[in-house]
Amino acid sequence: MAAAAVQGGRSGGSGGCSGAGGASNCGTGSGRSGLLDKIDDKPVKIDKWDGSAVKNSLDDSAKKVLLEKYKYVENFGLIDGRLTICTISCFFAIVALIWDYMHPFPESKPVLALCVISYFVMMGILTIYTSYKEKSIFLVAHRKDPTGMDPDDIWQLSSSLKRFDDKYTLKLTFISGRTKQQREAEFTKSIAKFFDHSGTLVMDAYEPEISRLHDSLAIERKIK
Amino acid sequence: MCRKGLRQNNNFFSSCHVWSTLYTCKLYYQVLNFGMIVSSALMIWKGLMVITGSESPIVVVLSGSMEPAFHRGDLLFLTNRVEDPIRVGEIVVFRIEGREIPIVHRVLKIHEKQNGHIKFLTKGDNNAVDDRGLYKQGQHWLEKKDVVGRARGFVPYIGIVTILMNDYPKFKYAVLFLLGLFVLVHRE
Repeated sequence: MAAAAVQGGRSGGSGGCSGAGGASNCGTGSGRSGLLDKIDDKPVKIDKWDGSAVKNSLDDSAKKVLLEKYKYVENFGLIDGRLTICTISCFFAIVALIWDYMHPFPESKPVLALCVISYFVMMGILTIYTSYKEKSIFLVAHRKDPTGMDPDDIWQLSSSLKRFDDKYTLKLTFISGRTKQQREAEFTKSIAKFFDHSGTLVMDAYEPEISRLHDSLAIERKIK
Repeated sequence: MCRKGLRQNNNFFSSCHVWSTLYTCKLYYQVLNFGMIVSSALMIWKGLMVITGSESPIVVVLSGSMEPAFHRGDLLFLTNRVEDPIRVGEIVVFRIEGREIPIVHRVLKIHEKQNGHIKFLTKGDNNAVDDRGLYKQGQHWLEKKDVVGRARGFVPYIGIVTILMNDYPKFKYAVLFLLGLFVLVHRE
């Protein structure tokens, strides 16, 4: 139940923390290198029949494009929020464990009841957080304003890929720092357009799509 | 979701990771994941303890002394509410002082005082004699404080796994090893 939270958004498993069904989502293939990856780094090769690996690699590549080509700065606020909620829940669990060990059962009843209820309340909060605040957003990036005066513009990337379906939807949201208004652009394409028959992601086909989305939002901004 | 490289950002939690390597960051996520699974199981168990009032709300029948009602390997659900008095004919799970394995038997006789204090005698359905031979040296009756709980429901045969794991420790380690392997492989 409370299993999928830290990985929740990515694996699409049952709501809540850790991955009873989901895989650890450090970008397949490119997760090991710690330093800035270039776009034409070793090509990402995954099992093309594995839905979650496909989605993860598409998401990671979209992130790479946005962060490296346009030099935006990634903001970890959403992930940190999830992390803090999980940490607090674990803390309640540990408190319950230690208290029960030190004061055997019947005396520890009120403290235990309190911890259990708080834990499940935190789980509820986590589920609400993942469903409403995070949705399926996997990247929040800031563009620092060159003049330094206005607040940053925020770009958000979210995607969806249904189980056993080949249509991948990528949505780019732009929130202007100055006017606080939101604009979005998205595309839905079959994943067959981006992967070749051996399961390698072809950046030459994928990158223009992302740039197109980005530019369509950026141009509107200039016109306004 | 992993942070590629160290980038400057403006929230305090992330700034804790500025000093650490990518590896530590990933490690923390994995540990937290694992911690969440364990905490959920733990909280559910503690929650059951609080709701039923018993320190061990689920027990496995270990011997055949209650046949044909309960067989070896049945799972029992217990409650231990103060408001429910123990009456003759009820099945109780109790612990004898000095022994840690709980025993599941039926109540045979009760002596009750005005203030609610009781002493009772138990016997297994399938045993020829009552449990006095099992009690501590010099003890002839059981009291409320020895009771772990009263049986309220059961699920047949599921507890056989627990019995196997106790009788054959190698089986337990094999199961744990396979589970760990499965989790690791699944993650990659």
